[in-house]
Amino acid sequence: MFDPYYLQQLAIGLSLGMTYALMAIGFTLIFGVLNVVNFAHGEIYTLGAFAGLVLISATAPPIVAVILGALAVGALAGFSLERLAFKPFRRFTDEASLKSRAMRESTLLSSLAVSIVVREALEIVFGSQMRSVPFDYLINTPVRVGPVILVTGDFIIFGVAAAMLIGLQYLLTRTRVGLAIRAVSNNPLGAKYVGIDTDRTIITTFVVGSMMGAAAGILMGLYYGAVFPAMGFTPGIKAFVAMVMGGLSSIPGAVICALILGISESMATTFVSSGWSDMVAYGFLILTLIFFPNGLFGARRERV
Amino acid sequence: MTLRLLALTTLTAAGIAGSAFAADTVKLGYQLPLTGDTAQYGQDFRKAAEIALAEFNAAGKPFKVEIVFEDSRSDAKEGTNIARKFVDDKEIVGVLGDFTSGVSMAAAQVYKEAGMPQLSQTASHPDYAKISKYQFRNIATQAQEGPYNAKWMASKGFKNVAVIAEQTDWGQSVVGGFSDAVKANGGTVAFSEFFNRGLKDYRSLISKIERAKPDAIYTGFFYEDGAQFLRQLQQLGIKTPVYSTSAAYSPKLIELAGGAAEGVHLTSNFLPTDPSPNVQHFVDEWKKRSDGAVPGQFPAQAYDAVRIMLAAVEKASPAPTREKVRDALAQTKDFPGVTGKTTFNADREAEKELVKVEVKGGAFVPVAD
Repeated sequence: MFDPYYLQQLAIGLSLGMTYALMAIGFTLIFGVLNVVNFAHGEIYTLGAFAGLVLISATAPPIVAVILGALAVGALAGFSLERLAFKPFRRFTDEASLKSRAMRESTLLSSLAVSIVVREALEIVFGSQMRSVPFDYLINTPVRVGPVILVTGDFIIFGVAAAMLIGLQYLLTRTRVGLAIRAVSNNPLGAKYVGIDTDRTIITTFVVGSMMGAAAGILMGLYYGAVFPAMGFTPGIKAFVAMVMGGLSSIPGAVICALILGISESMATTFVSSGWSDMVAYGFLILTLIFFPNGLFGARRERV
Repeated sequence: MTLRLLALTTLTAAGIAGSAFAADTVKLGYQLPLTGDTAQYGQDFRKAAEIALAEFNAAGKPFKVEIVFEDSRSDAKEGTNIARKFVDDKEIVGVLGDFTSGVSMAAAQVYKEAGMPQLSQTASHPDYAKISKYQFRNIATQAQEGPYNAKWMASKGFKNVAVIAEQTDWGQSVVGGFSDAVKANGGTVAFSEFFNRGLKDYRSLISKIERAKPDAIYTGFFYEDGAQFLRQLQQLGIKTPVYSTSAAYSPKLIELAGGAAEGVHLTSNFLPTDPSPNVQHFVDEWKKRSDGAVPGQFPAQAYDAVRIMLAAVEKASPAPTREKVRDALAQTKDFPGVTGKTTFNADREAEKELVKVEVKGGAFVPVAD
């Protein structure tokens, strides 16, 4: 007889993986286009959560309105982030600058700077205490599925992550905007020469990616019931690991690796102390980098 | 902003007093996390210290006291740097802080060399006060709290217990102090494990605890981790009783965990509902500065720690030195604080009276057993 304990751990792992995937999707989208890590993605996530919380405490709207509000804030934040941290480094459009590593790495630092400023600003405005979400809004009512207990949020997060993934794949492969995004990600200079508005494409990517980050933030806030300025850090790291394991620019790859991470963490808890379960995640990262330098799903050269 | 305002009022007050006699200023250092993951605690300590300081400076003493706050971010390296800075400032005669046992102990090495009295409001690792004769603390150690709780749980008939704690110096002392006492009482520890502070999802750990089928769970966590743990325990439909240390005693625990906090047992040495005038005075002052929120145990300990330090400075004056302040601290006896009477024993440990508390109807209620 199969021990229901392992089924429960598997279910917890899947749900944990979903929460990582939710963040990894937007993260990977932005990386795929700019080929640079957006360190402020974790803060977009936090901003989304705070926007939702402020909305809830101000007007107590229905949950759909809360998520729409968070999406709007995410879009605005993505747009401003691009303006502030990325656009100034695209002033020079000659080939040498576009290929320059220094130019790319400077956006790595400028996005890190924005992330620090945003986090500290949130701390000044809201304080660094954890804030509770009103209980009516929480999405963690237990649901029993056979021998396994999950919560409503697990299904909502699964639905949202699946919708994001399918929606993005549709956008990227079936629409002109998606075609432009893929062209820019493949060869920004070439895309410019054939008449694609690269600036607009990059901004679009940021807005879409950040909306997803903000949605992830508010969902996690409602799922765990706590919102605080430093909440974006750990999921950011996990999403980063999932992205690297998945081959840096493959969105389905990042999602699958996020699930692998979640499951291996919860399964590892059975055999090693919970304090060591993070080691499993980072161990996987190291193994992937040694044996699959292009990531598990990064064999194809085409990005996004 | 408030700090600047306070400094300004202090200056004005000093100016007025200065006309009568030369106002001396004694400087104290306070190292605490004002930013980073544990900033919420440091911010509370500063608020508590400001209340105590404002009261002291308004009381017409022959000298004024100034506290220099430095942000350690709960980082041991940062804490040591601050310690060197405080030691180098010849005017500083005593230091308060840090928040965590780990950082307090790292900084203590510097204070030990320099002969600077250090009084932490929260460092409860048993080894902290053993570092040198300059380390004091205003909190019950886990060597005291662990056996107390073990006895409490044994009296309720829980023989087979699970214990979990955060993976820190403090968490290890929670597990150590408690497990030894359980075994000494003839009980068994069915499960013992550490988790990383700030873990979001405890469900894997909870499933694992439940597989060991304990009678009760003893936990070493702070309110953030505690609230998540309790909530997920409820989600998984587990009814095993939970006991915890005074570290989880904060109104925030109930706010964040809601109904899931019902029935949690823990110990404390501060009850904001205590009708005694000094407790009510502190609670009122705190509410004024925090939009009506009630203080938890930690700010109360910080408030008392600052007042104990100020009393020692006063005793050591005129012309207090680090050595004189240390000796005055060591002589602290029956100091009437909001966390009960404080006496430092020969090992510079505060002997605290612990109160048993249970969460009932969304509030901490003192219980007899």
